[in-house]
Amino acid sequence: MKYAIETNNLTKVYDNGFKAVNELNLNVENKTIAGILGPNGAGKTTTIKMLTCIIQKTSGSAKVAGYDITKEPNQVREEIGMVPQLVSLYEDLTVRENVELCADFYGLKPDTKEKRIEDLMELVDIKYAENKFISQLSGGMKQKTSVVASLVHRPQILFLDEPTVGLDPTTKRVLWDLMEDLNEKGHTIILCSHDMYEVDKICDTLSIINQGTLAVKDTPQGLKDSLLENKKENNSIIRSMIQDLEQDEDEDHKEEIESLKASITNEDEEITAIVTNITEEMINDLETLDTVKYVEQVANGRITLALKKSENSVNKVITTILRNNGNIASIKTNDPTLEDVFINLTAKKRKEIKN
Amino acid sequence: MIELKKFWWMIKKDILVLFRHKARLISMIVFPILMIALCGYGMGGDLTNSQIVIVKQTDGQLTDQTIAAIKADDTYKVDTVITDPKEAKDKVDNGEEKAAIILPADYEDKNSSKNVLLYIDSSDQTATSSIVPKTEALFAKLSSELETQMATPQNPIAQTTNSIKLQVDKIYGDIDYIDFLLPGVLAMSMFMSSMFSMGNSIAGERERGELARLFMTPTSIATVIGGKIVSHLSIEFVRSIILIISAIALFGVVLNGSVVLLLLLLILATLCFVGFGTMFSATAKSQEDYTQMIMPFTMPMMFISGVFFPIETMPWILQKLAYVVPLTYANDALRAVMLQGAGIGDIAIDILVLLGFTVLFFAIAVKRFNRDI
Repeated sequence: MKYAIETNNLTKVYDNGFKAVNELNLNVENKTIAGILGPNGAGKTTTIKMLTCIIQKTSGSAKVAGYDITKEPNQVREEIGMVPQLVSLYEDLTVRENVELCADFYGLKPDTKEKRIEDLMELVDIKYAENKFISQLSGGMKQKTSVVASLVHRPQILFLDEPTVGLDPTTKRVLWDLMEDLNEKGHTIILCSHDMYEVDKICDTLSIINQGTLAVKDTPQGLKDSLLENKKENNSIIRSMIQDLEQDEDEDHKEEIESLKASITNEDEEITAIVTNITEEMINDLETLDTVKYVEQVANGRITLALKKSENSVNKVITTILRNNGNIASIKTNDPTLEDVFINLTAKKRKEIKN
Repeated sequence: MIELKKFWWMIKKDILVLFRHKARLISMIVFPILMIALCGYGMGGDLTNSQIVIVKQTDGQLTDQTIAAIKADDTYKVDTVITDPKEAKDKVDNGEEKAAIILPADYEDKNSSKNVLLYIDSSDQTATSSIVPKTEALFAKLSSELETQMATPQNPIAQTTNSIKLQVDKIYGDIDYIDFLLPGVLAMSMFMSSMFSMGNSIAGERERGELARLFMTPTSIATVIGGKIVSHLSIEFVRSIILIISAIALFGVVLNGSVVLLLLLLILATLCFVGFGTMFSATAKSQEDYTQMIMPFTMPMMFISGVFFPIETMPWILQKLAYVVPLTYANDALRAVMLQGAGIGDIAIDILVLLGFTVLFFAIAVKRFNRDI
């Protein structure tokens, strides 16, 4: 089986007529960590709910772990685990009782059940709180319990819908490590998240969903590279979007405009360095480099340089600074981030729909 | 086997939660006992238009005068005047009439004391407590008028020989209002508890996402609904027994019928009410939605089903409505078994109607149940 998930024109229209997912075609390779991104209301959670057989599709089809979500929902449920956005555990039961309940609902035999519960609780470090009620736990502990409850039947595919929202950095890392461990053991992980750092760090592929359809699917690096190549085009789209929003007198788009402005990337390759011991001579030398367009010196030893595209342009800058006895404390390029990719793609889609 | 484990978990979960919320547990048991105590000791009052039958075995001025006086009193609604005392008693026995006023064959005899019989269905304690004193007062007044008419200076003895004496025959003996009230309160508390707990059990769990956790597993709707029902049935059954024992121990309530039949009735009635709640909670998205959906049904049902007042005394429209709500049949059957010692044959109609409602409610619930969370 090549794909853990295959959807074909998958669509969900709610009773009120809202089309949350619109003919989505999404494939997730087996044994990968696949991130699903999208703005609020893009249809991510609805997609996950359909794939986990919590809600029914309106049209189209989908296979999860090789089983059809409509014709073989129980086989799908056997093969998946789900850590939902809102912790769905019985508040008045203890951690262990909640997990045992799930194990029995999956039909685990007593011996297997006990061992698995013990192992999983140790793995996510929640064993010490096994007799505490869910209502007494912190958000992170609840999420860990939810993970144990979702993994107790050893699913092939684990869905996580924004699992680290509101968690402290240490607990986040525990969950990231767990996802990577599970993936190494052959599980497919589907991670739905708004945390760009998180998906960049652990996902093999990213699918960006916008307005209920798949906007793009690639590796995190692939997405960033493609943005770099299309900077000018993308910036032009964003500027046009901003113009449209500014002309719209019916609604206030101040926040959206600010966010779009922030996403406009510098079309020049740019580096910012923090340097101590800056001298006038050093600045003059940098300005005379054939690969440097301009040098801007700001306070606190920060120098920003716009560079012409060239393979060794950064090297030349570093060499010049060092030759002038400058100390480089840090150096940063203006490579696009996943956040740039995200904003760019969702803005582009909106523009297409508007047109 | 797996399904049994799931059932067991749903019962275990509800029991654990109940015992972990002591206030909820205490309230569940104390509320109906408090209701019985308050109603038993604090309520009463006159009723009007109780259906009765009059038996006249002779014709004459006194008979006409008596019937006219009875008809003029709004305590009674005289359905018919017949001549056969046995027929009249049968009408009371089978519940067609609340009481029979049987005028004796010597009612027109001017030289004897007359023994009028009030034959009354004392299992309807509200009606009994109103009809008996009113009838006693009515005949005391008639007797006094008769004595005044008949007494002459020549024959002062007629004063005593022409009096009317009222003999009261309560067919189920002396029944206190609390005895009358217990079956009704039992039915009502089962009804209210079933309705509210099914709201929490399905709509509430749907709202909190707990139901989603169950539906993420390979579990059918029938198993989830079945588990919830068995769980609630068990809790409600135990609660009803505690309530009956408390009523007997604390208030000396008399239980005339078969205990086994009573327990079976409790199970059937609870099942029916749970079905009613499940029918609504099957589609409710939240507990608040559910509460708003059931309110227009629960509150009126409590008052029109004969828990506190006999149905016969209500306006005709409410009487008609009373017979389309299951609480009326549960109340009627429980009262018949507990007070009148009725057997299964006597309450067959109530049982069949409750069964019919139960099947209907569950059929609608399963059909309408929305698995989408």
